Amino acid sequence: MQMTSEALERAIEELTRLPGTGRKSAQRMAVFLLKQKDEKVFALADALVQLKKSVVRCSSCGTITEQDPCPICVNPKRQNGVICVVEEFQDVYLIEKTNEFSGVYHVLGGSISPLENVGPDDLRIRELLERVRISREGMKGENTVETEVETEVGAAAHSMPDQTPITEVVLALNPDAEGEATAYYINKLLQPYNVKVTRIAYGIPMGTELEYIDEATLGRAFASRTAF
Amino acid sequence: MRIERLTLRNFRNHGETEIVAAPGLNLITGPNGSGKTNLIDAIHYLCMSRSFVMSGDQYVVKNGESYFMVEGDFRGSIRASFTVGCNYSRGQGKKMFVNDSPLEKLSDLIGRVPVVVMSPEDLKLTRDGPVERRSFLDSMISQVDQRYLRDLLEYRQVRRQRNKLLQDAGGRWSVIRDSLEVWDRQLAERGAAIIQTRAAMLERFAEYLATEYRTVSGLMLKPTLRYRTIAEEWGDAAELTEIFMRRLEEVRERELEREQTLVGPHRDEIVFYLDDMDIRKYGSQGQHRLFSMALKLAQLSVYTDELDDLPILLLDDLFGNLDQQKTETIVKALARHRGQTFITAASEQPYDEGLFRGDGGAGAGSGSSAHRWFTVSEGKVHLKFTEENHGI
Ligand SMILES: [Zn+2]
Repeated sequence: MQMTSEALERAIEELTRLPGTGRKSAQRMAVFLLKQKDEKVFALADALVQLKKSVVRCSSCGTITEQDPCPICVNPKRQNGVICVVEEFQDVYLIEKTNEFSGVYHVLGGSISPLENVGPDDLRIRELLERVRISREGMKGENTVETEVETEVGAAAHSMPDQTPITEVVLALNPDAEGEATAYYINKLLQPYNVKVTRIAYGIPMGTELEYIDEATLGRAFASRTAF
Repeated sequence: MRIERLTLRNFRNHGETEIVAAPGLNLITGPNGSGKTNLIDAIHYLCMSRSFVMSGDQYVVKNGESYFMVEGDFRGSIRASFTVGCNYSRGQGKKMFVNDSPLEKLSDLIGRVPVVVMSPEDLKLTRDGPVERRSFLDSMISQVDQRYLRDLLEYRQVRRQRNKLLQDAGGRWSVIRDSLEVWDRQLAERGAAIIQTRAAMLERFAEYLATEYRTVSGLMLKPTLRYRTIAEEWGDAAELTEIFMRRLEEVRERELEREQTLVGPHRDEIVFYLDDMDIRKYGSQGQHRLFSMALKLAQLSVYTDELDDLPILLLDDLFGNLDQQKTETIVKALARHRGQTFITAASEQPYDEGLFRGDGGAGAGSGSSAHRWFTVSEGKVHLKFTEENHGI
């Protein structure tokens, strides 16, 4: 076989690496792109470059963002005394769509799974404990009063609002064996901090990934979260 | 529940086959190797997402082809009518469909179309090791109880994760102490749920078994069963969970050594007795045969009493090794089944006609008296005879 375009061959090679894309469909895509107007293809290429260049992890909650800390973490209207713990950043979007949650998030980056060699240290569990610990410093002896924290209008958009002591950690992990194990583990580590640990109720069919659940179900599950 | 139309493509020796089944009895005859068992195995695929003759999907694909497909139109009293499909290709594996929408998990299919299979393989139930009996029990309960199947799958996953940790530990408890705890609790909770459900089912099942054994044997020997699990007695699920946790502690040293989970429902055993005689150890060939048939007939009775829809009954080459008299006894026992039945048999036996007659035999499927007789040769199916008795 003799190739007349190495560039085409390379594009096909790269496209094959997309999930669910075989050689045949990669070939179709490459040929399609080749026939498109220049601007269209450049726009796509630029979107891909920006995706990698400007998207970072929020140093506080771990979700993906273009500004660090992320818009949720810096939003003074969110109750930052309530943290929702999720496995992946996609879960943040799903829960946001329900409009049921006004706290902030913590993305673990997965769940405990010995079979995949993922242990507690491979997840952002220590960071979670740090967030809880720091937020509760200076609380000793004081009565926890829910203080309304109003940041001044015009404060730098990227600065974090004052941190209220974290009083509740909501576990919104997948209802499978691994999510369950992770929930047990986190709950145990949080015991010394005397925070309320809740989890979203299983209005969710067992064994179903959060991704596959419709918003209504997820919203209900959220509204009825229960103590761990 | 019944299947109205069955389509096979590249399914073992069937290139392209379509049959329209009778709501009552369907007799399928043909020489050995003609492909008659494949017809009912295809129905089994649509009910349980796999073959009932223990073989992998890849062996089902017809020689020289790259995929197989099975499709069936079902009709029941609860779900009025629906289509189940199964596609398998060497590259992409197996996918099941209900009304053309793909099922996320194969296990979602189980229980939709309840099915009972009787075949010469049933002898393994009483003769072989505990694995056979556990999988019989699991399959029986899963078809009536979705939650049980879910517990079972989750328990298996927790056990796999736990075994991996035990392997990672390299014999040192300190390495995994904190990590193992989260799996122990889950193992115990799910395991306790499984054991509870098994115990409850076996208690009901034992009575059906006694009745069915009397029917097929005509004898007064009393069959009983004993369920051996992690405890002799327990109160509620919470107590059983605690017992489970204690047992895990007791075997910890050995688990670290053997690098696997050593207690739990995956090691349960069911012992069958005939008047105090352990049948696996001392049963005669004839007793094994009758006992295993009684087990399947008892399963049929459980479904008939506990499900909204009657199960489909698949009889594979059941009468091949039986004499005329035994055959008639079995046919009479089956006569009570009012749901759809498929029977395969090596070419024309004397009892074939009897199955269609108005006396005892015709009972199989008497709930609906329409019958069909198919003959199979080299993967081709012909309708030989059909009877639609609307009048009865
Ligand atoms: Zn953030």
